[in-house]
Amino acid sequence: MSIIARNNVTIAGSGLRTMIFAHGFGCDQNMWRFVEPEFREDFRTVLFDHVGAGKSDLSAYDPAKYGALQGYADDVVAIGEKLGLRGAVFVGHSVSAMIGVLAAIEAPEMFESLVLIGPSPRYIDDGDYKGGFTVAQIEELLASLDDNHLGWSAAMAPVIMGNPNQPELGEELTNSFCRTDPEIAKQFARVTFMSDNRHDLGKVNARVLILQCKEDIIASEAVGAYVQKHIPDSQTVILDATGHCPNLSAPAEVIAAIRRFV
Amino acid sequence: MAEDLEDLYENAPCGYASLGPDGRIVKSNLTLSQWTGFSQEALLGKRLRELVNTSGAIFYETHFAPLLRMQGFFNEVALDLVTIDGATLPVLVSAAERRDAYGDLLFTRVTIFQAAERRRYERELVEAKREAERGLAAERTASELREQFVAILGHDLRNPLAAIDAGINLLQRRGFDDRAPDLLAHMRRSGSRMQELINNVLDLTRSRLGGGIPLKKEECSITPVMAQVIEELRIAHPESEFAVNLNATEPVDCDQGRIGQLLSNLLGNALHHGAKNRPIRVVAVTEEGRFTLSVANEGDPIRPEIMERLFLPFYRGEARSSAEGLGLGLYIASEIARAHDGELSVTSDQSGTVFTFTMPTARTAAPDGVG
Repeated sequence: MSIIARNNVTIAGSGLRTMIFAHGFGCDQNMWRFVEPEFREDFRTVLFDHVGAGKSDLSAYDPAKYGALQGYADDVVAIGEKLGLRGAVFVGHSVSAMIGVLAAIEAPEMFESLVLIGPSPRYIDDGDYKGGFTVAQIEELLASLDDNHLGWSAAMAPVIMGNPNQPELGEELTNSFCRTDPEIAKQFARVTFMSDNRHDLGKVNARVLILQCKEDIIASEAVGAYVQKHIPDSQTVILDATGHCPNLSAPAEVIAAIRRFV
Repeated sequence: MAEDLEDLYENAPCGYASLGPDGRIVKSNLTLSQWTGFSQEALLGKRLRELVNTSGAIFYETHFAPLLRMQGFFNEVALDLVTIDGATLPVLVSAAERRDAYGDLLFTRVTIFQAAERRRYERELVEAKREAERGLAAERTASELREQFVAILGHDLRNPLAAIDAGINLLQRRGFDDRAPDLLAHMRRSGSRMQELINNVLDLTRSRLGGGIPLKKEECSITPVMAQVIEELRIAHPESEFAVNLNATEPVDCDQGRIGQLLSNLLGNALHHGAKNRPIRVVAVTEEGRFTLSVANEGDPIRPEIMERLFLPFYRGEARSSAEGLGLGLYIASEIARAHDGELSVTSDQSGTVFTFTMPTARTAAPDGVG
């Protein structure tokens, strides 16, 4: 199977430069539905699903390879190589911010700029570093993934099956986004929330824009500031948006900030 | 009496909360306050995620908030509310956005149902599913084993049985003439062969399904049983040469019969695979609290791909003659080693192949003799 099919890569737009969007933990490329179309005039835009998410090839999920964020970063680089990317813009949300950091270290010529939305190099507190969660809280999360399928599969199922009262929501729409295999979601959660990429930040040579939301429990402003401090050529824009998904809740702000940066 | 809509809202059998465009509660009903212990005033301005546990908050931010934004609603999301006392209240939450004519978000309306019973039921279902999967896996293993048995019985017992049958036919036809004693001896060997096959299969069953080969351990001198096994094989294979050095002087805490069986299996392997007309060397020593027994033969080295599976049951390195056996000998030898807290290893190169068994002479900390 080609990497294009494996990662459900979709390409649009007509620009000379390429902008590639990477979704975070919990969803798929639908995350970019309000943002990506705005860049089609000036960029070739590339969307994809991480293996295990959305319409990726679930049979390609290899627990060993995807047991670390590097496995996902390798995929980003492989997609970039397939598309012949040089000097591209990488836009990564949530855990994909660090996946982008790793990919940019691995293939420096591929990405000229990185846009990191809600980045966190480590979610668990460590001494003076405040990741936002205690080990106990993350263990509770991972345990609840183990013994409570409901928050993942069973509870998602009614949503995925669509709402008969709102037939205008096409079957394809409700079926496709945030579709997730519970076993893979568990492992992705573990890899995401146990990751520690603080030492990788200093190795990034690309220009970096950090988009930071207010009141983001998953990646706090303090964590965003830490990322900026440790990536040499980086700047931060604090969005008015709150929560962890400004690409959905405040797309206009996100689009404007990315435009100014690129 | 007409229904009182205000009262219906406040005292509905479900919790209601309306979130402003910023996601903060702007209105909630009395029921939600009663469930959570937070007054309606206290709930004002809170976010939904502040009312649930940490993992729920992470789910909400990474899964349900995006869904809500993308499709305008979510239904039947399982969350745990945390009450003012810190208690957990399992609930199912549905939410729908209310937008104005321009598509701007006015409110997100949230309905919350208690779901303790349902959650318990669902957990039981999940547990029952796991239990069933475990049972199925065990059943598959047992079933594979049974299939192997059938194959063994069909294949390996057929030859000696056919020999006995042929012997009976001959005796019937010819009567008890002067060739009969030889014939009977031959038939008896076939019977012994069948007995050995059946014992091996039983050992396999015990080791696979019963948690190891059972041992009758006692402190004993290990040399006599080894000498006896070697003597038996000398008689059975007069053409083969054995170079033996039994120097195990210390008593060994072991099951003598099993050690004899282990040696017999190793010798059987060496007889079959070793170079003909070259001696098989057996060395046994006790030193520094360990009993070591090695069996060496000359001949072609074992190929690496065979080496990997050498101690697995039903594995035969090469196409074999029908007399070779079940492919269980080395597996059972390694299981006997394991049951004695010992190990069986092998090295093989151009100079030959050496199987080495080693175990502690004295009883180790683990009190059970089963291993």
